[in-house]
Amino acid sequence: MKKKLLALLCAAATLLALSGCGAKNNSSKELVLYTWEEMFPQEVLDGFTQKTGIKIVYSNFDYDETMLEKLTQAKGGDYDVIIADDYIIEQAVQAGLVGELDKSIIDNYSNINPRYQGQFYDPEDKYTVPYGCGIPLIVYDPSVVDFEIKGYNDLWNPALKDSVAITANYRVINGITLLSMGKSMNEEDLDVIAKAGEKLIALAPNIRLIQDDNTQDALLNGEAKAAFLYTSQVTQVMSENPNLKVVYPEEGLGYGIMAAFVPVNAPNAKAANEFLRYLLEPEISKACMEYIGYVNTTGAADSIVDPSLVAPENAGTGEFIMNVSETANDAYNKNWIAFKAACGQ
Amino acid sequence: MKSFWTDRRWLCVLPLYAFTLVFVLGPVVYMVAVSFAQNEAGTGFRWAFTLENFAKMRDPVYVQCFRESFTLALSTTLLCSLIGYPFGYCMGRLGKRGKRLMMFLVMVPFWTSSLIRLYGWLILLQAKGVFNNLLIALGLINEPLKILYTYPAVLIGMVYGLLPFMILAVYTSVEKMDWTLIEAARDLGASRAKAFFTVTLRLTLPGLMSGIILTFVPSMGLFFIADLLGGNKIVLVGSLIQDQMTRGGNQPFAAALALILAAVTTVMLWAYRRLTGTAELEGML
Repeated sequence: MKKKLLALLCAAATLLALSGCGAKNNSSKELVLYTWEEMFPQEVLDGFTQKTGIKIVYSNFDYDETMLEKLTQAKGGDYDVIIADDYIIEQAVQAGLVGELDKSIIDNYSNINPRYQGQFYDPEDKYTVPYGCGIPLIVYDPSVVDFEIKGYNDLWNPALKDSVAITANYRVINGITLLSMGKSMNEEDLDVIAKAGEKLIALAPNIRLIQDDNTQDALLNGEAKAAFLYTSQVTQVMSENPNLKVVYPEEGLGYGIMAAFVPVNAPNAKAANEFLRYLLEPEISKACMEYIGYVNTTGAADSIVDPSLVAPENAGTGEFIMNVSETANDAYNKNWIAFKAACGQ
Repeated sequence: MKSFWTDRRWLCVLPLYAFTLVFVLGPVVYMVAVSFAQNEAGTGFRWAFTLENFAKMRDPVYVQCFRESFTLALSTTLLCSLIGYPFGYCMGRLGKRGKRLMMFLVMVPFWTSSLIRLYGWLILLQAKGVFNNLLIALGLINEPLKILYTYPAVLIGMVYGLLPFMILAVYTSVEKMDWTLIEAARDLGASRAKAFFTVTLRLTLPGLMSGIILTFVPSMGLFFIADLLGGNKIVLVGSLIQDQMTRGGNQPFAAALALILAAVTTVMLWAYRRLTGTAELEGML
C-alpha cells in the first residue's frame, strides 16, 4: 500500500513538473512592475498600495536586453509597467510590444519637463512616461591629479597611467571615444569605428578597472584617480567625498532617459496607468529621484527636489545612444573586446 | 514475473528521467540549435541555418579570449596541484581527529557564497585595504602595492576558489591507499623519495588527475573572479559569452562559444578517462 502511494505521489509530482508553472494570477489587485533592482524607495511602492489597494509585484532584470527578450516571449503580456532605457524602448515599440498610454487616467502628463518629451523612441509621446535621466560624467580627485580634466580626451593623459575607472557599457565607452574624436556616438561608418577602436586601445594603459556596479568605490578606496561614472554613481560618490570634482566633458554629453511604459498586453493596464499617474506626482518624483540619484524629469518637481538633480542648462545638447546596424554593432563589440584584452596586457 | 504495468517501481524513477530530459538535455539541444541560427540585431535571432557564428570565432580578438581562458585555467590548475597535492597528502596521513578537523576547515568556506568571499578579497587587496595597510604599518613599503585589478589578483582568487576541490580529490586517494605497500618498498631497499615516486604518486595519480579535472574544467568557465578581482580587464570566454547573451545582444554567437567551450571540456573528461582508466571522478562528494 505504502509503495503504491509513493509511486502515485511521484507520478503526480512529475505531472505537475511537466505541466509547467500552473495558472497565472490575473487578479486586478496586482500590478507587476518590471525594472532594475532598487529603483524605488519602499515608501513609494507602499504608498501606492495604500492609496489604491493594488499590490505591487516588483520583478527585476539586470540588462535591458534581458527585459526585451522576456517581454518578447510573453508577447507583450505578463508585465504591467516596465521601466527601461530609451534605446530598448525604441526596439520594443517597433516590435509592437508597447501599448498606448491612457491619458484620461494620466491626467497629470503635463508635469513632465518638455525637454524630456518627444524623444526618438517616442516622438509623439504616446507610449512613455520618463522616469529619470542619466548623464555619465567624469569625476576626479584633484588632490592626486595635478592637471585640470576638462573632457574625455584628458582621460588619455599619460599622467593618469593605470588609474582610471570606467563603466562597462560597450556602446557608451565606444561613444565617448567617438565624441572625443568629434564624431557621433552612433557612428555607422565602419572605418570611423575602427579608428575609434584604435584610439580606445591607446586608452588601455590608463585603465585600472572596468566595472558597472559600484564603479565609484574605486575613487574612494584609492584604486583610481579619475572615473567615468553613471549619474547615480556621481551623486553617490560626491555625497561621500565632496572634495572630488565633477566634469561635464567639453566634447559633448552622453544622454540617457529611463522611461516607463505599459506593455501592449499588460494584464492590468488600468492599474498600470494609475501607477504612472502616481509617479508623476511631484512629491513622489522627488522621493524617487533622491533615492536613485538620477536627473529629475518631472518638471513639476524641479522646485522641491535636491538642486543637484535638476539638469543644468547644457544637458539638452547631449546625444542618445541609439540602435545601429548589425554590422556597426558587431564592430563596436569587437572594439570593446579588443580594448578589454589590451587593458589586461 | 511482474509485468511492466503491475510493477509500478518505474514510476519512481520517472521524475529523475523527466528532470534530466527537461532540464539537462533540453537546454543543451536548444543551445546547439541556437548556435546555428542567424542573429537578428536587437530582438534575438531567426531560425535559419548558418555557420557564421562559428566562422566569427576565428577572428583574432576572439581566439585571444580562448587562449586567455586556457592560460588562466592552466596556471590555476598548476598552482592548485602544487599547493593542493602536498596539502591533501598530509591531510590523509593525519589521525582520525586531525582528519576530521582539517576536513571541517576545508569545507567551512563553502558555507558562504563565493561572491561574498570574493568581496572579502577585494577588501583585503585594495589600495587602502588590510594587506596594504599592514605592509605600510610594518614599514615594508611606502606606497600601496597595486595588487587588485591585476593578473596575480585574479590568480589568487581562482586558486582560492578551486583549491578545496584539489585537496579533497587528493585526500580521498591518499586515504584509500594501502600503506603496507610503502612499507614493502622500504623493506626492499627503496629510499623514501623512491618509494614516494614509484608507489605513492602512482597510486594517488587518479586523485591528482581528478583534482586537475575538477579545477581545470570550472576554471575554463569561471569569469566573475576575473571580472571582480581583475577589474574586467581579462576577457575570458565566460565573460564573452555573458557579454554576448546580454549587452552584445548576439545569442547565436554566445551559444556557439558555449558549445565550443563545452566541447573542450568534454575532450578533457575523455582524456581523463583514457589516462586513468576510470569512469568516475575521485573525490566527488
